[in-house]
Amino acid sequence: MIKNRHNTIAIIVVILFGVALFYIGTDGFQAFTAETARTNDLLEEQPKFPEVTLEDSKERVYPISDFEGDYLFITFMYTSCTDVCPELEMNMLQVYKQLPEKYIGEDIRFLSISFDPERDDPETLTKYRGYFESDGETWRMARIPDQTELDNLLEEFGVIVIPDDAGNFTHNSAFYLVDPEGYLIDVMDYKEPDKAAERVKTILDQEVGG
Amino acid sequence: MTQVIVGLVSLLFLMLPPVVDILESIMIIHMHMQMPLLVITGALMAPFFQKKFPAFFAKFNTNGIPGILLFMIIMFYWTIPRTMDDALTMPLVEIFKFISLPFLAGVPLRDSWNKLSTVWKNVTFIIFFIQFTGMGILYIVSPVQLCNNYLVMEQVTLGWGFITMAAAILIYLIQLLFINPSDYE
Repeated sequence: MIKNRHNTIAIIVVILFGVALFYIGTDGFQAFTAETARTNDLLEEQPKFPEVTLEDSKERVYPISDFEGDYLFITFMYTSCTDVCPELEMNMLQVYKQLPEKYIGEDIRFLSISFDPERDDPETLTKYRGYFESDGETWRMARIPDQTELDNLLEEFGVIVIPDDAGNFTHNSAFYLVDPEGYLIDVMDYKEPDKAAERVKTILDQEVGG
Repeated sequence: MTQVIVGLVSLLFLMLPPVVDILESIMIIHMHMQMPLLVITGALMAPFFQKKFPAFFAKFNTNGIPGILLFMIIMFYWTIPRTMDDALTMPLVEIFKFISLPFLAGVPLRDSWNKLSTVWKNVTFIIFFIQFTGMGILYIVSPVQLCNNYLVMEQVTLGWGFITMAAAILIYLIQLLFINPSDYE
């Protein structure tokens, strides 16, 4: 009987260990993928957009702080991508179309940032822009020529970009919303453009007024 | 004792940075090669611990159930998409992988298996069949990238790997109904 008691104790200890392990490993059963964990962390931290210099499809060079005062709707992509990026940008277009026109370019700007500055020169970006009806003004596509600045931004916003041998990148995708002061206030699921558009519209309605 | 040495040497080999890099560069190899190999190294080293602490195993793993539960918990933990990513990005999680799979899954598995009744062995197979089928479906049909470090295509490959293993378990379970092993002994 005593032997069995030890066995039972061992079972209980093992189960408790299991619960603790899963609890810690998933941030209290919240995040079963690293992406959820990353988003939860970002929303808590609200990192400020680091100082970077952009070069857009119209060969204009300016610091990101030029956008201060406007909301920024951002995606990270590269034009040679065949996996997720076309869908990401298509969905971004959905959001762009669904927002009331009065806000576009006035209170909110759209920005697609390439993390492949070597290949995505202004010419390539212009071509790519055309596929998604981006006008290059209210929705700009730009690269960050300085690799250090780029890495710093990706790190701050939790964008994981891993180059492979074939010239492709493994990366995660989302819609990022930055407020007029340059702080990241929301990370949205790029698979649900309707929801994202609704969310952005609510924020704009509240902050800017209808 | 040869087994213990083979187990230890294999574990050390699997820990070599180039070996780690290669095995972890492909999703399905990470989960279905590296992780099981780590469990096997642990199973090979089990006799060392069994001889060193016979009283401990006899006392706390009398019927094998605590051990097999621990084995299952560790195995399930490493099938969560998050844990694979964390192992790649957080050194502490990576270290935990190299400790937990051999010593908390491999060792208890070997100690428990012979102690388990046939019913419990089959229950274990059924649980893994259900789990592998579930994970397989999840990795195949998931529209989003579950692991930030791997492409969606690799995810689908991994899903089929799970389904293949689930199928193998299913075949094993079905043949149990028709074939009596003692006929062949």
